[in-house]
Amino acid sequence: MLSLFIHITNKKGKNMKPIKILLIAILTGVLVFGISSCSKKTEGPVKVGVVLPLTGSKANFGEMEKNSYELALKKINADRKAKGQNPIEFVYEDDTGKPDVGRAAAEKLINVNKVKMLAGGYSSSVTFAAAAVAQQYRVPFLVNTGSVDKITQPEDFNLTTNDGDKFYIYRLNPPVSEYASGLEGLLATKVKPKSVFIIHENTAFGTKGAKAFQKSADKLGIKVLGVESYSGGTVDFKPLLSNAKKVKPDMMYMISYVMDAAMLMKQSREIGLMPKLFVGAGAGYTMPAFKENAGVASRNVVSATLWHQSLPIEGAKDYFDNYIKTYGGDGPDYHGAEAYSAAMVVDNVLARCKDNYDAETIKKALDATDMMTPFGPVKFTAYGKKIHQNRMQTYVVQWIDGALKLVWPEDLANAKFVFPIDWKKVWAD
Amino acid sequence: MADKQIKKEKFINKTEWIIILSAIVLPFLFSFSPYVQGLLIFVMIWVVLGSSWNLLAGFTGLVSFGHAAYFGIGAYAAGLLFLHFKISPWWGLLLGGPVAVIVGYLLGIMVFRLRGPYFALGTLASAEILRIIFGEEEWLTNGHNGILYITTWVTKYPYYFIALALALGAVFSVKAVMRAKAGFYFLSIREDEDAAQALGIDTQRYKNIATVISTFWAGTAGAFYMIYMGFIDPEVVFSLHNISIITILVGIIGGVGTIWGPAVGAVIMVLVQEIFRSALFGLAPAWVSRLHALAFGLLVIFVILYLAGGVVGDWDLIRKKFGLTKKAETAE
Repeated sequence: MLSLFIHITNKKGKNMKPIKILLIAILTGVLVFGISSCSKKTEGPVKVGVVLPLTGSKANFGEMEKNSYELALKKINADRKAKGQNPIEFVYEDDTGKPDVGRAAAEKLINVNKVKMLAGGYSSSVTFAAAAVAQQYRVPFLVNTGSVDKITQPEDFNLTTNDGDKFYIYRLNPPVSEYASGLEGLLATKVKPKSVFIIHENTAFGTKGAKAFQKSADKLGIKVLGVESYSGGTVDFKPLLSNAKKVKPDMMYMISYVMDAAMLMKQSREIGLMPKLFVGAGAGYTMPAFKENAGVASRNVVSATLWHQSLPIEGAKDYFDNYIKTYGGDGPDYHGAEAYSAAMVVDNVLARCKDNYDAETIKKALDATDMMTPFGPVKFTAYGKKIHQNRMQTYVVQWIDGALKLVWPEDLANAKFVFPIDWKKVWAD
Repeated sequence: MADKQIKKEKFINKTEWIIILSAIVLPFLFSFSPYVQGLLIFVMIWVVLGSSWNLLAGFTGLVSFGHAAYFGIGAYAAGLLFLHFKISPWWGLLLGGPVAVIVGYLLGIMVFRLRGPYFALGTLASAEILRIIFGEEEWLTNGHNGILYITTWVTKYPYYFIALALALGAVFSVKAVMRAKAGFYFLSIREDEDAAQALGIDTQRYKNIATVISTFWAGTAGAFYMIYMGFIDPEVVFSLHNISIITILVGIIGGVGTIWGPAVGAVIMVLVQEIFRSALFGLAPAWVSRLHALAFGLLVIFVILYLAGGVVGDWDLIRKKFGLTKKAETAE
């Protein structure tokens, strides 16, 4: 292709024979055909595509989720072998955290790798763009993290809530508008803040999360003193934080991915912004990388979360320990649990397809899903504007003594909520 | 310089006919893989954008670092039409170009007062300003949620041929204008704006003409992107590094100030990008995909150091370096 273009754009080579050009074109064609046919296998494992950000600014999350998929896969395929079922193969495709790349990735998985269904989906905007592809090609897509509400709202795909049989998107995790529902209880009974300052990343996830929390604040009678947004990858948050410091809010509510989360806390400490409580909206604030990067400034930060290893859910603790045993480090947060459980749902769904892996059979199996995973119970239901949405409770965690502890709801907590907090003491050294 | 000889030749010469014909045949050679066809469509989009940038930067000397502004405006022209009025974005394909021209003209009032690096910074800033405005004004643009449109066809063929038509339109409109009197005025502005003015050339007017053509194609490319991809948000279409910078790279690598440079540059860029993103189509280990930015950097350094004219501009040099004399060519 390239040589073809170079040859014919070359003026001196204009008496080049058409036959030669044809030859080059055919050669290139064969070459590319060879490359793409390498990845095709006729028999063997059931292929499932997984779209995740494996490079770029969200690679931290992508890596944890991929690790979890792999961890689950080992167990799944061992079980499948014992039962004489076909093994499953996860085909990973990097979306680099960008919607257009995510779209191309989904398209490649469907067209080139011929996957039977899709899973994964990390950031909201990428997941939404990839979901449109899945919907168009009528390939079932089990979303495990992308949280903006519209992903499971058929109206955003030109369908209605009655079109369940035409809607191919399913979601394991709760939507972003419900992330803070667990937090509301804690705020109402323990913290009782009078005012809040909101900082969020200016993405679909960030803006929708901020809107949802403003609603919660209204309900709880918390005055919103300000809402500020920033672009991902910002280095200097001090202007935003100084604005917050000026109005002296009772609490800070922040929606960020992991590096920005760490920066926000570090710089809050530097400028001495001391509200009663720092609250993160999940995402970056529950990640081990947050603690590593924010260091001292991560102490006693509170975050909404969708999962914690100490929850009385069968398999949760096992998964957590297993992850540390295999990959080391501080262990996964809710993102990993979502991915691990998504892999289990995929296995369960495909097992119920009984070797008939066309889209409609897989879709019917997804509809009938009713199972327990380490992330919690999974069942796809319809409510409000959403269909195919798994409903879940959300929780609150706090960084206490270098570990992420579950502090709310009280009956499930594994640590006592640290409050009030003397930041001068906590942030010392 | 190659562009001096343009006038003597036929408007579409033999080799160009061959390019056109092979471009028509190409998608059928890849009928087994919509994935490769998708890549070809992207090549065409970049040909349009690259040619548009090249007219402004390569021929007229107005180095724009903000082509994403016009691309994004075109994309949003189609997107907003659909979002607010439920009018098919296909109409936006007609509208994207003109709207980008209007916005480009308004921005031009500000940035054309600047020259050289200041012009570059001015254009860069205008694209960034638009990105932020389109992100924040949610009532108008749906903000960072972006605009989703379920695309018309699953098959790639119609998209490919429309993209090809746009690419040819862009390349040949640049060629046509460079053969006309205006083309010589553009070159004179590029070489020395003050001298051109002293000779009686209305430089402001000809800069505007170059901008109109350039922004028209950038806007049309944006509108087509919306129709083909079915999803836009401000971070995607007004992106500094994914649109503005890549546009410049397409021009630089292919050859600044050459008619076919952007086309060659587009092929190289899309190939390099995809090879690294997919880690050599999945044949290389996964860490290769992390080298993506590094590879781009090295490519640019290499081109700037050794091939300042780009692949097309320095083709003679490449031939000499690799000993590709006419006889050796047949052996390839």
